[in-house]
Amino acid sequence: MAAGATTAVSVEERGGSRLSAAALIGPATFIVAAGLLIPILILFRYSLDLYEARRFVVEGYTLANYIKFFSDDYYLGVFYTTVKIALLCTFACLILGFPLAYALARTRTRFKNILIMLVVLPLFVGNAVRAAGWMTLLGSRGMINAGLIGFGIVDEPVEMMFTEGAVIVGIIAVNLPFMVLTLQSVIESIDRAVEEAAFSLGAGPWHMFWRVLWPLALPGIIAGVILTFILGMNAYATPVLLGGPEFKMLAPLVFGQMQLGNWPFGAAVSFILMTTTLVLTATSGYLMHKRYRR
Amino acid sequence: MTGLMGLDRRVIGRWALTAAAALTMLYILLPLVSVIWLSFYRQEIPSFPPEGYSVHWYGVIAGNQRFVDGLLLSVQLGVSATAIGLAVGVPAALCLSRFRFPGREALNNVLLLPLMVPGVVLGTALYVFHVEAEIATGGNLPIIGSTLGLLSGHVLVVIPWIVRLVLASLAGFDRTLEEAAMNLGADRWTTFRRITMPGILPGVVAGAMFGFVASFGNLEMSLFLVGPGRTTLPIAILQYLEWKIDPSIAAVSVVQIVLIGAAMLITDRFVKISRVV
Repeated sequence: MAAGATTAVSVEERGGSRLSAAALIGPATFIVAAGLLIPILILFRYSLDLYEARRFVVEGYTLANYIKFFSDDYYLGVFYTTVKIALLCTFACLILGFPLAYALARTRTRFKNILIMLVVLPLFVGNAVRAAGWMTLLGSRGMINAGLIGFGIVDEPVEMMFTEGAVIVGIIAVNLPFMVLTLQSVIESIDRAVEEAAFSLGAGPWHMFWRVLWPLALPGIIAGVILTFILGMNAYATPVLLGGPEFKMLAPLVFGQMQLGNWPFGAAVSFILMTTTLVLTATSGYLMHKRYRR
Repeated sequence: MTGLMGLDRRVIGRWALTAAAALTMLYILLPLVSVIWLSFYRQEIPSFPPEGYSVHWYGVIAGNQRFVDGLLLSVQLGVSATAIGLAVGVPAALCLSRFRFPGREALNNVLLLPLMVPGVVLGTALYVFHVEAEIATGGNLPIIGSTLGLLSGHVLVVIPWIVRLVLASLAGFDRTLEEAAMNLGADRWTTFRRITMPGILPGVVAGAMFGFVASFGNLEMSLFLVGPGRTTLPIAILQYLEWKIDPSIAAVSVVQIVLIGAAMLITDRFVKISRVV
């Protein structure tokens, strides 16, 4: 009710406005600060502790967990796999997503809303459900193998489940809608007349794309690339279900370590995951801005 | 001549573009189509082509307590988290759009933060926080694995969606309408109820839907927060799939697809989804 009583307070009315502003935003800020920032600080504190099998968590101020991660070939391998897959999937999403985003932005059919909902629906049904779909398709007796054998392309079923390829195919499908929707909204805001102008000045479609559309869509491209990269880095369900128990990326590694009870190391890997994601997205955003700012 | 060739290239370009767009669409939808297909197989083993088709797996899952309980818990969590999210998120968005104060931009970012933090990190952080909180209260309050702990996590996930989408619809709202209402003698509460609320309703509905879906589908964070014997639907699906895939889990997936599709269609009646995503 306090919300309603204070909404109409105009900016000019200084008296009491500070109080009502605080009353409006206070509860949400409290929930996020207490529920997110404090837990993350506690998690960071844990990452400086030590773990001993018999005594569980031993308080300390040490970087041992971080050093352990970066000096162990197994964990470094998990790290490289994660970054590699995230980069690859982001690149694939950009190439595959752009044509669909453009078509959706420029279509004049009355089915546009339905088409967009068909892109949003997979995004909303969750990663586990979509992984189930890929398991149906990629299994040794699944649809793709049945098709390959049926057409005589192979004699024996191809082992596709529990491979890095399956994880990549799955993550691209998971992240594509995010890329398509981000690009579509920015392309929609670009005036069609500039494309026509490029064409009437003699540019071919390829030239028009590189010289007009790409630079104008760049803010959306950067946003989409950053979003899909973050999602790729943090993928959990897809690597667990399509990669199998042997395949490890960083997010499943965090969960595994926490389950084993090694909280300090799990906390450290959490921070490595978060920091790497932030640093790489900040750098790529900066570089792309710089490269294309003319 | 060149003009004609230019036109040809444009026609070819358009066809290539449409084909590429259609392929990407197919790629996005393929897993959903295949899981729906699997749910109608007659035999249990998911080998293609199926021996026949049947709907009996839908009956099988209705008798599976794990899935039914998971669905109920997920719906309860989603509805409660969205309600709380609306109660705190809509006022917060109003404050951010109406007042200019130092630190406003920072506060805005703080409220969007739960979207930025990876689900696994969020889950880990909340888990250790719950453990610390239970230790701090002397173990008198059961926090670890409690429904309340799970709900507080889901509220966190919902808030950014509501703040973001309500804020977006407030940006396009004409404030002179409010002044007109007040000049005509309406008090602030009436003005909010009769003028502001209808104006920002599309953003509120969209925020509520996105928030609900974010909560309903949340997997990574919830994995850390569920208690023994109580799981949400996405976790139940994940754990089953880690063990095996068969038409019954496909049927569960289809139930989730239908529920979310229905939520989208209902929302679409209030606000065109193509305008808010």
